[in-house]
Amino acid sequence: MDAIRRSLLGQMARLSAGAALMPFSSLAQAGINQQPARREGDPTKRYGMLIDLRQCIGCQACTVSCHIENAAPLGQFRTTVSQYEVQHQESGELATFMLPRLCNHCENPPCVPVCPVEATYQQQDGIVVVDSDRCVGCAYCVNACPYDARFINQRTQTADKCTFCAHRLEAGLLPACVESCVGGARVIGDMRDPQSQISRMIHEHRDALMVLQPEKHTLPQVFYLGMDERFTTRPTAEPVALEVLDPHGQEMGYEFHH
Amino acid sequence: MNSTIELLAPRYDIAWYPWAVQYFFMIAVSYASLWLAAPALVLGKKAWLPTARLALIACVSTTLVAPVALLADLHQPLRFWHFYAYANSHSWMSIGSVVLPLYLVSVLGLAWLAWRPALQAQRSTPGLSGMIATWLSLGSGITPRALVAVVGLAALGLSSGIMLYTGAELAIVKARPLWNTVWLPPMLATTGFIAASGLVLVLNRVSRLCSQTAIRQMLYVLLVTCALAGLIAISWFLDGVNAHVGSVAAALESVRHSASWRNTALWGSITGIALFAAVLFLLTRPTLRLPGACGAPTSHQPTLFAWAWLLGLVAIHMGWMFRWVVLMDVQHVARNSAGFHHYGIPAGSSGILGIVGTFGLWLAAILLIELFIPWRQAQQGGLIATPTHATQDASTRPLTAKKGASSHV
Repeated sequence: MDAIRRSLLGQMARLSAGAALMPFSSLAQAGINQQPARREGDPTKRYGMLIDLRQCIGCQACTVSCHIENAAPLGQFRTTVSQYEVQHQESGELATFMLPRLCNHCENPPCVPVCPVEATYQQQDGIVVVDSDRCVGCAYCVNACPYDARFINQRTQTADKCTFCAHRLEAGLLPACVESCVGGARVIGDMRDPQSQISRMIHEHRDALMVLQPEKHTLPQVFYLGMDERFTTRPTAEPVALEVLDPHGQEMGYEFHH
Repeated sequence: MNSTIELLAPRYDIAWYPWAVQYFFMIAVSYASLWLAAPALVLGKKAWLPTARLALIACVSTTLVAPVALLADLHQPLRFWHFYAYANSHSWMSIGSVVLPLYLVSVLGLAWLAWRPALQAQRSTPGLSGMIATWLSLGSGITPRALVAVVGLAALGLSSGIMLYTGAELAIVKARPLWNTVWLPPMLATTGFIAASGLVLVLNRVSRLCSQTAIRQMLYVLLVTCALAGLIAISWFLDGVNAHVGSVAAALESVRHSASWRNTALWGSITGIALFAAVLFLLTRPTLRLPGACGAPTSHQPTLFAWAWLLGLVAIHMGWMFRWVVLMDVQHVARNSAGFHHYGIPAGSSGILGIVGTFGLWLAAILLIELFIPWRQAQQGGLIATPTHATQDASTRPLTAKKGASSHV
């Protein structure tokens, strides 16, 4: 179908019933679902993370240390490293591509306004946290996060996610994943401090940095250096079930096979 | 790079369990059947009274059960009071938590007003039902028709709030492209009306009320809502033919890569078209003087009307399956890894037990109403002279009316 006909059909559809629905859509965007005020945290700081993919070897040390530091239940992760086997189009050469995933502590976090009890909120230093004493476990935020960064903790039955190890940052320590990264791929810091390592690296590599799913307008604050643009959205791969089981025989993951 | 293999991906559980399907289904049947009861209860249209009586029992029973399913979907149900202690006006769910109890109270208020004259007439009945009628009817004063209309209007207003919030709650979620479309809320409402008219048809048969008027009215509602649902689906699709619309693009991608999504899309389309065609067929049959439904001697309606309840079951199936696909199947579409997550429905409370339990609770609610409430005599306020035939609709044959009424004695 040619572009003009497509466009005409689209316009027709919009004209027909879309007109009647316009007030609803504008209502949904105005006021409701806007970001509530940030609270707590240091207003002079804005934490962010830069992941230098050129340094990542996919050892999963971050996954393990985060798991231990934050006592996540087995099979549930605040951070993981996705691993892809990629083949060069012309040479047929194989390579492995590593992509550490964690909460992006977005500037416009879609998980925050949906929370019906404001249990999940953004601190003034940009870190998105969950008050697990207040959380009702409705899991709306889990569905609202495009990055699968959230989950319902099986033990606490409340929403759980990466907090940039806020408790460690407060104590002057680095997050567990950063501390354990053997290649020094993960860099965390205050982006408002021009002298911090992350500020200097952002300044130096500004044009090469990428974020995940930029089209969602969430403005992620986890930046990737050495990223292939094709991995910023959901990669296309052939899924074949090859299940990974935990010691109790419960399925906790799966491998894909081409 | 022309091929990619994802070597290791964690399994992401679904966040909303089948409880959510049950809530969305029950509350949709609730608000839609309220609108079906409105012509008689709010506007005083006598011809809609049999439909209104059936719709009201459907509405009350689903309104009572829906919040239970909603609470059960919370992982911390005992913290429900946090909704009110820490309300967040930025969240559609929080707005829903305010609208829902108000809606529940308005529906119960409307039902009480509509049932009150019959309850007053039943007070002299010996036994438990008499006692309950005495207790529930709260005095012998007349029930003003205007009050029924006003409470009905309030309930209708609040039900619009429910329609809006349940739809918007899903439609704003950008992370799930299949939900993120302005066409989802009207489709949820339309399929809600399909399911509600189906339920009225089934209740009409099961309760042995067998009102031919109700059947004809519900078939007309089904005809319009099926056409509307088709129109919405086509508009949504045409809107996305440009491929700029995420929800259509995501749907096409799902259908292209998954056999089960292909089956689902095919099944939904076929069922919808078949239902529309069958309803149209039934409505265009010539009126004959033949033995009617429920063993009644004669009928002025097509004989096939006796089988309209089967279409009712199909309509209920459509309403429920649409919610299952939207809420459960969409959660299986992986967001960051390749392919689809598999979710075997567990046997426990987050699976089959939840589904069966909700329907069981709904059945219990219907049976309790059937046992103690003379719902067959619901009307727009006023007084009832005798507990039985006084307000029977002309279309409800005396034989079945006696049977129905005798069950309350």
